[in-house]
Amino acid sequence: MLITRRTALLGTALAAATPLRFAHAEDTIKIGGIAPITGPAAEAGKFMQYGANMALDAINAKGGVLGKKMEWVVEDDATTNPGAVLGFSRLVARGDCVAYTSSIRSTQVNAVAPDVLKLARPVMFGGTDPSLTHAGNPWLFRTRPNDSFSARVIADFGATTLGKKKWVIVHSTDAFGSNGMKALVESLDKLGIKPVLVQGYTNQQTDFTPVVLAVKEAQPDVIGSYFTFENDLGIFARQLRQLGVTVPWVGSPSIINTTSMKLAGPTLWGTYGVADYNQDSSPEARAYFDEYVKRYKVNPDNQSTWLYDALMILAKAMNDAKSTEPQAIRAAILAIKGYKGTEGTYTFDENGDGLRGYNVVRNEKGQVVFDKHIDFAS
Amino acid sequence: MATFLQLLFTGLGIGAIYALVALGFVLLIRAANVVNFAQGQFAMLGAYFLVIGINVLELPYPVAIVMSVVLMAAFGVIFAGATYWPLRHRGGLPVIISTIGASIFLENTVLVLYGPSPEVLPNLFDSPGIQVGPVFMDSQYLAILVSAVLLVGLQYLIFEKTLLGKKLQATSQDKEMASLLGIPVAGMILFTFAYSSMLGGIAGMLVAPVLFVSVGMGGLIALKAFAANIIGGYGSIPGAILGGLSLGVAETMGASYISVPYKDAFAFAMLLMFLMVRPQGLFGEKISEKA
Repeated sequence: MLITRRTALLGTALAAATPLRFAHAEDTIKIGGIAPITGPAAEAGKFMQYGANMALDAINAKGGVLGKKMEWVVEDDATTNPGAVLGFSRLVARGDCVAYTSSIRSTQVNAVAPDVLKLARPVMFGGTDPSLTHAGNPWLFRTRPNDSFSARVIADFGATTLGKKKWVIVHSTDAFGSNGMKALVESLDKLGIKPVLVQGYTNQQTDFTPVVLAVKEAQPDVIGSYFTFENDLGIFARQLRQLGVTVPWVGSPSIINTTSMKLAGPTLWGTYGVADYNQDSSPEARAYFDEYVKRYKVNPDNQSTWLYDALMILAKAMNDAKSTEPQAIRAAILAIKGYKGTEGTYTFDENGDGLRGYNVVRNEKGQVVFDKHIDFAS
Repeated sequence: MATFLQLLFTGLGIGAIYALVALGFVLLIRAANVVNFAQGQFAMLGAYFLVIGINVLELPYPVAIVMSVVLMAAFGVIFAGATYWPLRHRGGLPVIISTIGASIFLENTVLVLYGPSPEVLPNLFDSPGIQVGPVFMDSQYLAILVSAVLLVGLQYLIFEKTLLGKKLQATSQDKEMASLLGIPVAGMILFTFAYSSMLGGIAGMLVAPVLFVSVGMGGLIALKAFAANIIGGYGSIPGAILGGLSLGVAETMGASYISVPYKDAFAFAMLLMFLMVRPQGLFGEKISEKA
C-alpha cells in the first residue's frame, strides 16, 4: 500500500483526535440540545451555553445524575427551522441522549415537534406559544410561562394599572408572534377592549417605517407587542421615537432582553415588559443573577434561565425516578410540585406547562426595575 | 400626503442602501465578469472593521472610516487571490460557487473571531435628523443618499471618462486582447476587486447605525441588491442606482398601502415582473445576449 503524504497527515490527525473522542465519550448522562450557535440569534446561543454551564456545574457538584456526571451535547440550529430539524436529527442519530432540550423560539419547537413525538423521549423547551403543549404531544415540557399568561399580564397591566383603553398591537407573523397576538386580543376582549390596530410584520426587516406610520395614524394610547428578534425590535424602537410616537409600550419578554436593551438603548427607556425571569422576583433568581454576573460579566436574561431550569428539572426528574427510561422521566417531571427555579416555582400540569406567572418590569434608563410578580391558578 | 412623503424619503434611503451594494456587484460584473455573492459579506466586514476602530481602538470616527476603507481594499486583493484567481480560466460558474463558499466562510470566521454579540454604532452626525415639513429625515439616511450619489458619480467617471476605466472594461471584454494591447490584466482585476471590496465596506459602514452590526447583516441586503441589479439592467451603473431606489420605494409603499407582512414579496414580485416583461432591465442589454 502506497502511503502518500496526505494519507499520512490524515492518519496522524485521526490518531490525535481519537483519544479526545474517547475521553469525551466517558460514561455520562447525555442531554442533547439545539441552540442558535450561528444566525441572527447567535448571541442568545452564547447565553444558552452560559446557562447550561451553570446548571451542569451545580448538578455535577451535587453528585450528578444517578451517580454519573451530566453532559449537554449541543448542535447548531442556525436560528432557522430547517436548522433546528437538522440539528435535532443529528442529536437523535447519536443514540446516546436520554432527553433533549429544544428552543426558546416557538417556531423551531413547532418544527421539531413531529420528530419529538416519533422519538418519544422528554424534550424541554422555552417557546411560549400556548398551543405547543396543547397539541397532543406528551413529550414536550415547557420551562417558561406560556403566552396566554403573558398576554393576560400585558392586557391587565396596560388596561388596569396604566388605565389605557386605545390599544395597538404590533407582532411578528411567526408562530410565537401570531399566537401571542391572538392571546393578547382575547385577553383585551375579556376586559371589553378592542384594539384599534393589529399590525403584523415578517422577521428580519431592514425598515419599520410603514409599521410605525400605521401605529402613528391609529393614535393609540398604549402599544402591546410580541417581537421575536432583538434587531427587529431595535430598529422599530428607533424609528418609533424618531417619528414622534411616545405612548406607553408594554412588550413581551424580548423588550427587556439584554441584547434588545443594548441595541435599542435610550429608545426603549420608559417601556414596560413582562419578564419570565427577573433577578428580584425570588431568592433563587437573585442567586443565579449574582453567580452569572460574577462568571460572565453580563446580566442574565431568559435566554439562559429557561435552559438552566430545564437541565435542573431533568436532573431532578431522573434522580427522583432513579431511571433514565423515557416514561419514568416523564412521570417524574409531571410529579414535580413547588420546585423553585430561576424563572419561578414549577408545578407541572398534565400538558407539560410548569409555570403560570410573569413579572412586570420597567426599563429605567437601561436598568430593569422589578414591579410585581403575577401568578395565575390556571 | 405627509405619509406618502415620509414613505418616499424612507424608501429612497433604503433603496440607496440596496443601490450601494448593487454598485459593488456591477463593478465586478463589468470589469471581471464575476457575480460576487459575497458582496453582502463585504458590507458586514466593513462594518466590523469600523466597530473595531471605534469601539475597540477608540479612534475618532473619520480615522476609523479611513482605516476600514484601507483594510477593505487590502481584503479585496486577498479575496481575489483566494476565490477568483485559481479559477479564472474555468468559466463563470466555478467562480460564483467560490464566492458563495467565501460568503459562508467570512460570516463564520467573523463569528468565531469576534463572537455573536451584535454591536451598535453611532450615527455619522450627532443630530438624529431634521424635520422638513411633515417629513422626518434621518441623518443617517441622508448620509447614505449623499454617499450613494457621490459614489455613483465617482464610479461613472472612472469607467466612462478615464483611461483606467477603459482598461478595466477592455479587460472585462477580452482579457487576451487587453493583454496584447499592453494592459496589465492581473493588475486591473486586482484593482477591481479592491475597489469593489471598498464599496461594499463603505455600504456596510453607512448602514451599520441603522441596521446594527451583526454577522448576518450582509445577507439581509445583498439579495435585494442583486435583485436591484437585475431590475436596473445587468451590469449597468445607472441601472443599479435606479433599480435599488425603485426597489426600496416599491417595497416601502407596497408595505404601507397594501400589506406590511408581504413587504419582501413586493420586491421579488417586481423582480419577477421585470424578468418576464423586460429581462434586460431598465438600462441593460438582454441577459440572454450577455450569456
